[in-house]
Amino acid sequence: MWKYLIKRIIALIPLLLVVSFVIFMFIHLIPGDPARLIAGKEATLEEIEAVREVLGLNQPLLQQYVNYLGSLLSGDLGSSIRSGAPVSSLIGDRIMPTLGLTFLSIIWALVIGILLGVVSAVFRDKWPDRLGMLTAVSGISLPNFWVGLVCIQLFAVQLGLFPTGGADAGWKSYILPSFALGAGIMAMIARFTRSSLVYTLKQDYIRTGRAKGLSSRTIIFGHALKNSLIPVITVAGLQFGFLLGGSVVVETVFSFPGLGRLLIDSIHFRDYPVIQALILFFSVQFILVNLLVDILYSLFNPKIRYE
Amino acid sequence: MGKNLGMFIFIVLMLIVVGCSNENVDGNVSDENNEMNNEAQEIDSNNGITIAIDQNFITLDPHDAGDTVSIYGIRSMYEGLVGFDENMDIIPVLAEDYEISEDALEYVFTLKEDIVFHDGEPFNADAVKSNFERVIDEELRAARNLQYLDSIEVLSDYEIKFTLTQPFGAMINKFAMIPIASPKAFMDAENNFALNPVGTGRFMFGVWNQGDSLTVTKFDDYWGEGETNVDKVTFRPVPENGARTAMLKTGEADFVYPVPQNNVNEFQETEDIIIEETPSTIARYVSINTFKEPFNDERVRQAMNYAVDKEAFLAVVKNGYGNVLDSTMSSETQYYSKQDPYTFDLEKAKGLMAEAGYENGFEAEIWGNTSSETSTGMQFIKQQLAQIGIDVEIKSMEEGTLSDEIYTPATPEEAKVQMWYVSWSPSSGDADGATRSLFHNEYFPPNGANTAYYNNSEVSNWIDAANNTADQNEQKDIYSKIQSTVFADAPWIFLGTDTILSGHKKELEGIYVLPDGSISITNANIK
Repeated sequence: MWKYLIKRIIALIPLLLVVSFVIFMFIHLIPGDPARLIAGKEATLEEIEAVREVLGLNQPLLQQYVNYLGSLLSGDLGSSIRSGAPVSSLIGDRIMPTLGLTFLSIIWALVIGILLGVVSAVFRDKWPDRLGMLTAVSGISLPNFWVGLVCIQLFAVQLGLFPTGGADAGWKSYILPSFALGAGIMAMIARFTRSSLVYTLKQDYIRTGRAKGLSSRTIIFGHALKNSLIPVITVAGLQFGFLLGGSVVVETVFSFPGLGRLLIDSIHFRDYPVIQALILFFSVQFILVNLLVDILYSLFNPKIRYE
Repeated sequence: MGKNLGMFIFIVLMLIVVGCSNENVDGNVSDENNEMNNEAQEIDSNNGITIAIDQNFITLDPHDAGDTVSIYGIRSMYEGLVGFDENMDIIPVLAEDYEISEDALEYVFTLKEDIVFHDGEPFNADAVKSNFERVIDEELRAARNLQYLDSIEVLSDYEIKFTLTQPFGAMINKFAMIPIASPKAFMDAENNFALNPVGTGRFMFGVWNQGDSLTVTKFDDYWGEGETNVDKVTFRPVPENGARTAMLKTGEADFVYPVPQNNVNEFQETEDIIIEETPSTIARYVSINTFKEPFNDERVRQAMNYAVDKEAFLAVVKNGYGNVLDSTMSSETQYYSKQDPYTFDLEKAKGLMAEAGYENGFEAEIWGNTSSETSTGMQFIKQQLAQIGIDVEIKSMEEGTLSDEIYTPATPEEAKVQMWYVSWSPSSGDADGATRSLFHNEYFPPNGANTAYYNNSEVSNWIDAANNTADQNEQKDIYSKIQSTVFADAPWIFLGTDTILSGHKKELEGIYVLPDGSISITNANIK
């Protein structure tokens, strides 16, 4: 197990290099000149050139990449072009709200999703199943910004239970955005749990269990569910990676002070160092979550455990 | 056993995740946030107010801000020698008075006495000098306002003289763009000045949670007249239009700006919320590349102006808000002079097209950004111009791409732009800012924003001449000539000027939006 872990982690190094290169090139090749955006609309050409020189944007692209990699390896993420603040402190300020949001979303998604899936599977083709799956299909098809706006209208404006946005009201600030963010995954998990559980419940060992006289509860929660959760973990793991992407939209809707909004603001201003650092962060997080999913996999089913 | 172990680890992991998230959630509720939360609940007790705005502050360094939002965030704590009143007219603020020499090269300011900065440091001529030196020495963004500044001389404790290298008509407006900070605050290398602003304003710096909120608190030793009973003002950036207007309904915000045009109706029934309309310096137009055929023919451009119904434009694109653009600049800009608008007249437009030899029209392209309002605007232009046979193709581009396409061409020959749906507002409300970069023939892209490639050497000379005199009446005459000439030459389709919409609770007074889109909170009061 440890050997496998170390091997996987070492294999990450070339992957990260490639990722950082691709990110750097993509970001620098998208149209939009940060120097002009910074200098402002009334700036003259000389002013723009001066800005470009200060930012090092007049150097060849490869040279810029080498500089970037060099400072990255020494732990320096650079400074924001826009505000001059160190990128690490910008990310540091915003990381906890976003992590809190994504974790809470995945918990919503897992708890409600699995419950919904179990109920649907147990009452297959009866009304709880139909209702559950209708909810699930709606959850998958509705875009999360729309779910967010509906939540604001309903729970903040009409009922006044939660704030419309920001992160000032403590845990209350997290409820609506995390729900909006997790709704899609919740639905997906519900569907996967249902189909997987329906399949498991038809297996021979379940029939044996029933013949032995085990209660339905023992069969479902003690035997069937655990084996049905493997595809669910895969989905949940993969989706967790996408959650950070989704947070970009949801954080904008809820004016939530997280990484997603920082990314949007930075793209708007072509703030290369911040965009680079954030996308790199998202990528690393995605890679790590995948690694974690693989490990969980092997824990759940020894048959697919790696040597 | 193995399976049980797996399940056990899974459950433990889940618990850790739950634990972490709780910690995250709680961890985020720092003391500061708790404080602000309490504050939000205490709005009714006149303790603090919240202003919801659409963008983040980028910096609080008073000399290094380039965007409107940061600038008004800064102005909530800082003041300049001169400033803008509600109508964007220049008024003395920290200066008692000022005199401009006849050759327009020397500006002497007499300063007000007995003013202290928020840190207790005295305000005087030396402090002013250090501020201007900082801007220039460190090449901060505000240095652009001082490009013609030659020397600064302290005449006495409360008298200071600025000498320019050449006359510059808009110089007094530029002085209003330089807030004066406590020299002690920015000279202390240990102090992170950008994060610890110290000015002379009615409100002083409280807390800035970057990306979330800025709180300023009342400064008890403020020099100015009038009173405020507001102890704290919190600015909260809320980019999503729906969420921002919702905050006004739920009472989470006391002042909201901007209120989107299509949300105004929601508030018509509510008695305790007031929607304010402020005419702005923002001019909306389509710039026409006068260098290219058939747009090089003045008659074609005039025909395009006659073919577009401006009232319909305001109704369709701006939800009925705004005014017809009846000059090259908004009525809120310095030295504005009203022209006879091109009233909607299809016969006249068709006649002009025929005269120019285009009775069957032609094909053209219009560019614009991807915002929904711009899309509607471009659709409107397409439909209007189709009436005189001009078949317009719409090209929407992301802002960065668009800016590259417009500003990269090194010569007019290389420029591909034909029509550009865009807006402009001068940053300090001055006539020079609303004219030079747009119409002077030395300011073609990439050197400036003359994207119409408008080339009229008479106009260029006038623009230079206006800066070469200190005589305001003369300047007014010159700008009047410039406006009538450019308006007649029609390098743009002149569309409209924006109305700025803001909303606030009925009991809140004294907070207002200026025509340049900045918010003033100095006189905030709760009835």
